[in-house]
Amino acid sequence: MSEPLLEVEDLRTQFFTEDGVVRAVDGISFTVNEGEIVGLVGESGAGKSVAASSIMRLVEQPGEIVGGEIRFKGETIFGLEDVERDGDGPPEKVPRDDMLSNAEVRERIRGREIAIIFQDPMESLNPVFTVGGQLREFIEINRDLPENEARDLAVHMLREVGIPEAEERYDDYPHQFSGGMRQRVLIAMALACEPSLIIADEPTTALDVTVEGQILDLVDDLQGKYDTSFIWVTHDMGVVAEICDRVNVMYLGEIVEQADVDSLFHDTQHPYTKALLNSIPRPDQSVGELNPIAGVMPEAINPPSGCRFHTRCPEAREVCTRTHPGCREVGDGDGPHRAACLKHEGVFNAGYVESESIENKTTGGFDVGLTEEGEADD
Amino acid sequence: MGIYRYTIRRLLQAIPVLLGIITITFLLSDAIPGDPVQIMLGPSPSQAQIEAIRAKYGLNQPLYVRYGNYVWGLLHGDLGESLYYQVPVLLKIKQRLPATLLLLISSFAFAIVTAIPLGVISAKRRNKPTDHISRVIALVGVSTPSFWIGLMMILIFVYHLGWFESTGLVIPWEGPGPLIAPGNQAAALGAWTDHLVESARHLLLPTLSLGTLQMAAITRIERSSMLEVLSEDYVQLARAYGVSERTILRKHAFRNAQLPVITLIGLQITAAIGGAVLTETVFAINGMGTLIVNSIYRQDFPTIMGTTFFYGLVFVIGVIVTDISYAYVDPRVTYGEAE
Repeated sequence: MSEPLLEVEDLRTQFFTEDGVVRAVDGISFTVNEGEIVGLVGESGAGKSVAASSIMRLVEQPGEIVGGEIRFKGETIFGLEDVERDGDGPPEKVPRDDMLSNAEVRERIRGREIAIIFQDPMESLNPVFTVGGQLREFIEINRDLPENEARDLAVHMLREVGIPEAEERYDDYPHQFSGGMRQRVLIAMALACEPSLIIADEPTTALDVTVEGQILDLVDDLQGKYDTSFIWVTHDMGVVAEICDRVNVMYLGEIVEQADVDSLFHDTQHPYTKALLNSIPRPDQSVGELNPIAGVMPEAINPPSGCRFHTRCPEAREVCTRTHPGCREVGDGDGPHRAACLKHEGVFNAGYVESESIENKTTGGFDVGLTEEGEADD
Repeated sequence: MGIYRYTIRRLLQAIPVLLGIITITFLLSDAIPGDPVQIMLGPSPSQAQIEAIRAKYGLNQPLYVRYGNYVWGLLHGDLGESLYYQVPVLLKIKQRLPATLLLLISSFAFAIVTAIPLGVISAKRRNKPTDHISRVIALVGVSTPSFWIGLMMILIFVYHLGWFESTGLVIPWEGPGPLIAPGNQAAALGAWTDHLVESARHLLLPTLSLGTLQMAAITRIERSSMLEVLSEDYVQLARAYGVSERTILRKHAFRNAQLPVITLIGLQITAAIGGAVLTETVFAINGMGTLIVNSIYRQDFPTIMGTTFFYGLVFVIGVIVTDISYAYVDPRVTYGEAE
């Protein structure tokens, strides 16, 4: 198999706040191959967006990438090495020699190799410049084209993403576009720079469902045409099923399950993924039958001991409060399927089977009220 | 939706506002206790003298007639005659306006030219030493009264160091006066240079004294506005597409950040007009501020009304200019017509 396009290894990004260190991304590893759409799934606060901006080294103060490695097409976007300090004390982490400098990341990676599409199309375009002008500027920077050629390409790309009368709309301002149209413009921006990888950070969350469908179709079409890889950040399992080839499920800064989309849906190995799938509303269910995940996600500033999901996990046992599972190969199918759950006794061997089950008292979740109401209706 | 039509419409809308100002000042000056005639005639005038003066200035007529006459006069550019100076109020304003205008323009120029870079740098280096210094300057600037700054500067730069002048203004565009030898270009050039130097020496301290408050206020709003814009998604997007920090600051963030600044500058015009009164007093400048204050002492009602109307006019124009520049900077602001 060919070298993956992007390799993320044990990535750690932390935010140093006044209340303490928030471990937003805590040791995640995944790869993206050429031409692939890889999903990054999880609830709000799982660290998906931080992981996405870490890949482009766009994490802002007080956040910082503190460990791990990001390799892209043989270049090191991020990498540390140990240097022995004079005297005693633990070795110090310093950037490796082959790690790209800030200027190199800006000039060679951002836009040119990796582009990004943000969640909220209403906020992602600068209100005081024309849509065409913004598109043209990014093309000029990342494709080294003179102004008139960049302009022609910009118009062409607007047409490509389905903006009607692209030539005329070029000089319009963002507020003259609808949300869906703006997201098309942002997709045009990403594709126009011809990057190898596009990070789509919940690009359809802010759109209504019909528009979401159109955008997903559009991306599907153009992905084939331009042969671009995608990292698709979302909390929507429906979108994952529709568009992704492989999926990484994140919970509290960690990847808890990693598999191709089919085995993730049909051979789910982690209780959290199962819970996510169960919380998708279906037309044949009433609200009462809907099974949302109990409780709210704990804060990443002080994650639970052991398995981080044990506070909400229906299958949690006493051992889960003590032992922290890494993400290990658990699948018996053909493709790799990794999960971080002690219930796979054969893999983790942590004494899950003998351990006693624990009652999860959920606090603050909305499942209780909804369920009771549902039962009252019956 | 042309900018011209918008301007004309705004000017027409200003008419009721100005009429309101006229009416209120007119009624107020009528309602205020104290009789200007007695002030004009001294301690014990005869009844005949009082009647004569009243008749001369039309004060014996009923209120609505006097109001009608006043508005009619205004429409013809007649602001009435000063009771104290015995000359038309408009003439008095013409004499006093240049000094105040010069003071306002130079202090605003100083404020804008220093505050905007200071605010931008402060936002760029947030919580670094540069930011702390600029914030302290801004804080001291907004909390120190301008007349105190003026007095302290006079103490240091005039009495102790003798670098600048502390009284009056020299209006630069009025020229150095008649030349002894007309046609002597070197002499003319020298005279002009001396004149301008003199003008600057008079202008600098009042400018700093009045401009410090505006500078400090604008710096603060510029900083917070830039910080807000720099955290916007579209700035993040520009970063993600490899735009350099320098371009982001100058192009992608700057223009958006100026909207609140423009609003503030528009509002500061009023504050500066008030501040100019104090500054003119401290620096013994014969401007509009001293004119208005002295007229109040002397109960010179036509002058009070005339200058108030004039300031109202300046303020209304200031607001219109603010609105127009707002629409110029932000394409989302249309000129009030449906698209």
